[in-house]
Amino acid sequence: MTPQDDRPVSPATGDGAPHTRRQAKDAARQDEVRLENAVETADGELPPPAVPATAAGLGAGPAPDAPLLHRIMTGNALVAFLSVVLSLILGGLLIAVTDQNVARASSYFFSRPQDTLGAAWTAASGAYLALFQGSVINFEGDSFTRIIYPLTQTLTVATPLICAGLGVALAFRAGLFNIGAQGQILIGATFAGWIGFTLHLPAGIHLLLVILAGMVGGAVWAGLVGLLKARTGAHEVILTIMFNYIATNLVLYFLSTPAFQRPGSTNPISPQLDATALYPPLLGPAFRLHWGFVVAVLATVFVWWLLNRSTVGFELRAVGANASAARTAGVNVSKGYILAMAIAGALAGLAGVAQVSGTEKVLTSGVAASFGFDAITVALLGRSSPWGTFAAGILFGAFRAGGVAMQASTGTSIDIVLVVQSLIVLFIAAPPLVRALFRLPSPGAPRAGKGGSTTRTPASTGAAA
Amino acid sequence: MKLELIGITKRFGSLVANDSIDLVVEPGQVHSLLGENGAGKSTLMNVLYGLYDPTEGEIRVDDEPVTFKGPGDAMAAGIGMVHQHFMLVPVFTVAENVALGNETTKAGGMLNLQETRARIRQISDQYGFDVDPDAVVEDLPVGVQQRVEIIKALVRDAEVLILDEPTAVLTPKETDELLGIMAQLKADGKSIVFISHKLREVKAVSDVITVIRRGKVVGTADPGAPTTELASLMVGRSVSLTLDKQPATPGDVTFRVRDLTVQAANGQRVVDGLSFDVAQGEILAIAGVQGNGQTELTEAIMGLQDHVSGSITLGGEELVGRSVKDIIRAGVGFVPEDRSVEGLVGTFSVAENLILNRYDDAPFARGLSMSPSAIEKNADEKIAEYDVRTQSASAAAGTLSGGNQQKVVMAREFSRPLKLFIASQPTRGVDVGSIEFLHRRIVAERDGGTPVIIVSTELDEVLELADRIAVLYRGRLMGIVPGAVSRDVLGLMMAGMPADEALAQAHDVQGGNL
Amino acid sequence: MKNSLRKFSRGTGLSAAVLGVSALVLSGCGAPPAEDSSGGGASAEAGSDYLGCIVSDSGGFDDRSFNQSSYEGLKKAETDLGIEINQAESQAETDFGPNVDQMVQAGCNLTVTVGFLLADTTKAAAETNTDANFAIVDDNSIDLPNVKPIIYDTAQAAFLAGYTAAATSETGKVATYGGINIPTVTIFMDGFAEGVAYFNEETGGDVQLLGWDKESQNGTFVGNFEDAAAGKTNTQNFINEGADIIMPVAGPVGSGTLDAVIEANAAGKDVKAIWVDSDGYETAGKGEEFILTSVMKLMGDAVEDVIRTDVEGNFDNTPYVGTLENGGVALAPFHDQEANVPADLQTKLDELKEQIISGEITVDSAASPE
Repeated sequence: MTPQDDRPVSPATGDGAPHTRRQAKDAARQDEVRLENAVETADGELPPPAVPATAAGLGAGPAPDAPLLHRIMTGNALVAFLSVVLSLILGGLLIAVTDQNVARASSYFFSRPQDTLGAAWTAASGAYLALFQGSVINFEGDSFTRIIYPLTQTLTVATPLICAGLGVALAFRAGLFNIGAQGQILIGATFAGWIGFTLHLPAGIHLLLVILAGMVGGAVWAGLVGLLKARTGAHEVILTIMFNYIATNLVLYFLSTPAFQRPGSTNPISPQLDATALYPPLLGPAFRLHWGFVVAVLATVFVWWLLNRSTVGFELRAVGANASAARTAGVNVSKGYILAMAIAGALAGLAGVAQVSGTEKVLTSGVAASFGFDAITVALLGRSSPWGTFAAGILFGAFRAGGVAMQASTGTSIDIVLVVQSLIVLFIAAPPLVRALFRLPSPGAPRAGKGGSTTRTPASTGAAA
Repeated sequence: MKLELIGITKRFGSLVANDSIDLVVEPGQVHSLLGENGAGKSTLMNVLYGLYDPTEGEIRVDDEPVTFKGPGDAMAAGIGMVHQHFMLVPVFTVAENVALGNETTKAGGMLNLQETRARIRQISDQYGFDVDPDAVVEDLPVGVQQRVEIIKALVRDAEVLILDEPTAVLTPKETDELLGIMAQLKADGKSIVFISHKLREVKAVSDVITVIRRGKVVGTADPGAPTTELASLMVGRSVSLTLDKQPATPGDVTFRVRDLTVQAANGQRVVDGLSFDVAQGEILAIAGVQGNGQTELTEAIMGLQDHVSGSITLGGEELVGRSVKDIIRAGVGFVPEDRSVEGLVGTFSVAENLILNRYDDAPFARGLSMSPSAIEKNADEKIAEYDVRTQSASAAAGTLSGGNQQKVVMAREFSRPLKLFIASQPTRGVDVGSIEFLHRRIVAERDGGTPVIIVSTELDEVLELADRIAVLYRGRLMGIVPGAVSRDVLGLMMAGMPADEALAQAHDVQGGNL
Repeated sequence: MKNSLRKFSRGTGLSAAVLGVSALVLSGCGAPPAEDSSGGGASAEAGSDYLGCIVSDSGGFDDRSFNQSSYEGLKKAETDLGIEINQAESQAETDFGPNVDQMVQAGCNLTVTVGFLLADTTKAAAETNTDANFAIVDDNSIDLPNVKPIIYDTAQAAFLAGYTAAATSETGKVATYGGINIPTVTIFMDGFAEGVAYFNEETGGDVQLLGWDKESQNGTFVGNFEDAAAGKTNTQNFINEGADIIMPVAGPVGSGTLDAVIEANAAGKDVKAIWVDSDGYETAGKGEEFILTSVMKLMGDAVEDVIRTDVEGNFDNTPYVGTLENGGVALAPFHDQEANVPADLQTKLDELKEQIISGEITVDSAASPE
């Protein structure tokens, strides 16, 4: 767009740019010019609009200009639900296909197809029944404790998933794709564990200090990522991946030093945490469920408050949804990144505390299992909202707890649970696929009719809780 | 080629975007589709171009019914489209872009661009396009990129060209050139569907004008019809706009800019040694062709630019080097150039956007905790005061029309006492009724004694609002002239001529004419 | 876009169906069994109501290492003793608790837990379920009446391997490296180092050991038990430094060593490997001709042994320590390398074995069971 250095800019048409001097005299004409000028930039929004912007455009989705990742992470609840259903169906098919009885029956499929189908049904339904019994209620339990034991197991496993999932979700709302929860859990667990087995303090204070240490550990580890991103512009995905590696190997190294080993042993396993450093059991010693679950509930409430009711959350969400508008509105975007990562890390650190101080009671290199990575899926399934993440955490807790029971009672490999979880991610990441399979309309169209109530919640009164 | 649309209806769910629209495009005719944004013009063209299936209705080419399953079919039938946002690969050359999707290969799978180059040269010569087939597209001015799009269509033997808001991105001179090209194409027997809401252009080139409102054809008009008539058809009510603007009564000078220089990341001086003052109670308009430093100037004032030297003082306080938040707190109201990018968070509610830069002030927040009721109350008040058309205060701001989005931004900025008000392109993409309203609010702010800076690339808006006009060219000030200056003078200054020369030259020309 | 997706989903649905049907056409033409055959399942040997169970550590039962050999021991007990078995594979350490709990709930008479990482879990389960028996592999930290530790004095066999390596090395340099610096790994390396040192002392030789310093308990480690490529690189480095016999103590990573050894031999060098855990000649699956010998931990036999004792009602909690004496650890035969091993060396090895059994020679390692 190089401005022309021609001689006078000629009027576009005789009609459009009247002579300046006459313009002043001819009031009626001037009015017309005004109108013309005005209409030239018109963007006619008349009540009600004939066509909403999305339908008039190419109708891609809720926010065609929003980054793909953002749309995936804050997608539709219905799509999330259908993704779970679809994944379970496919998982069932997989169980059936790999089942030995089905394989045997399918060798004579054309002579007696009902055998194959029956065997397939038996295999899949049996496995899922075991999954249910292992995660919710055990009908065959001989005591009340045994009957509800699976549910408490689910909640126990869900605890770290919820905490770490909240961390991923929160960072995501601030526009950061935090895939470093794994490392943050490990560092949090290391800090918490070390306080737990090295210091010997009175009950109460000890646990408090352990929790604090875990949160600080995670916050520092993730905050570093935020700092590097804000200062150098390095991408947080690369940073968090690398920080995961560093954390894993750092913990391995710590565990090879006497300070982290049991007296008289060189195995890479820490001493047990002091009893004063442990979360007390929530429902008595018969269950593994501990007070860490209550902490996870509180964390969920806190994140909900933070995101929807606090100025900090407002800043973070603004940075995440539109960093340049946030900057223009006076929000310090760099500070936002650091803060968001630090809080996310503290939440992941809580997951680490739940592990060392709740279920495992020792620090090992595998104390984080794959919770840090599952947390991404949990946040994804929960559409990055606090209670959505909570619910998704419980669901994944159930998968994991039930998977153990399914493996023991039906011999179905626990890997099938992993397959189902991965399928869920796959489907959530490809909403058009789910919509096409279920013949759902694409989101562009029905929006005006429904007022977008399914995808949007009133943010001013507490968004997307 | 004769093109007919018969009873085209397009529904999205319960929503009717096009309601049995009939349209006939005769060969060698420029047929304008006039309507405000959202009236359904683009939907109709997307149906015609095969991007949407019509819910009902039929398309006929030379009296034969056709169905288009995609743009490929439409192109094969001789329909070409130039989108408002170009579909070009920036790092490819013109020839590569034109060949894309239609490549011919030599032996061994090598791309054969010779033929394409020749075709481009031929078309370029025929219509006076002046396009070099080997230029890289991203290096070309927008107007030339648009010609590349037209060449793409012509290479594929398009008989009907759809031009979707082609002038929205062009400078006045480029617009004139485009209108000339359209006339040539027409003379050559091509038909053109010209989509626009700019009445002047429509009147200049059209043979037939079809006006669309709310998805329906509300009438056809003769290009000779008065502008008011066309506007009323388009808007659906009679429109009268008279801005009651009293002459300015400038007070003390409270805002001073001295030797302001802004460097881009590559070291280029995008704002170069600017000095000017704005007094209380006056509007200084900053004119210039887009991209001559206006954006950087406003951003420098707001503290959004990194490499700033010189001085900016407001009421004696230095603003350079302070944070955006401090500058906002110092009483600077700012309507950024691109509201959807810098002015609003599209996924946030209207209520949240109305407090976007005041979220941590009372009464909206106490300590860290925000008060939803105060936010809601504020939203209800502002929505009523500014007549923001939204489903509710909790609707996402991104769903609002441009005019209503801009009202939200203005309402937010005007809702606190200001010591300086800056608006960049305050009415770009805003509907008629809203423009009037927004202009009145800006003038009212001036009359309240606030220094006001308006940045606009629309000369008409500049002339309408300004008490004084500063023109920027390549980051430098060409001079400051009174608000009542002629268009010609501004045109010369925008092309890089200092104010005194421009005034002298314009005077000569006018003298000669008279 | 929407349309094309619809088409796409129909298309894939169709092709999936076609694929499925054709698979059935190909495979589903067999004859069915008689309708009333009393369910072709479980031929359940009558009389066995003993349930033997196993919980793996996070390596899983296909780790070609102690999980797998222990599991094979249990399978062997199933066929030999006619017991029922049940197994639970842990994907992560967090699965240990639930898995052991599942086994207890399933009514297992004896649950074998594999690896020291399961010690805390096993101990807790044993304390609350005093009527069930447990055996834990590679851990000797639990002292409960119903827990039998199964441990190995691997250093004894590794000593023989070290001596063999030192005695047959042409270059005067041998090497070893580990997966992770943990006792179950370093015990191999300590024994190996001892064997080399003993050879030097006895013959006044100067065979150098690369990759492990017994004094400082420090050496070359891959950092995991997965990265075979790193194992190959390590081995190539050792070969470049002049080593001609390499012993990887890193589970599956050892296959990288075999790759490097095969390549070195193809390039004209004379390099050999020493396998660990099982007889590599039979299990490694490649490069057998270059495996000098193997340091074997016969875990399967131990597991089967413990189960047999329990089935017979003679369970006790004294640790089972695999030694050269009871055959729990051993040096594998030389197989193809027989020719390269002088007869007097074989005699010497037998002699050394006797001396170790008798206590005349003590092989000590920081990781040895007391």
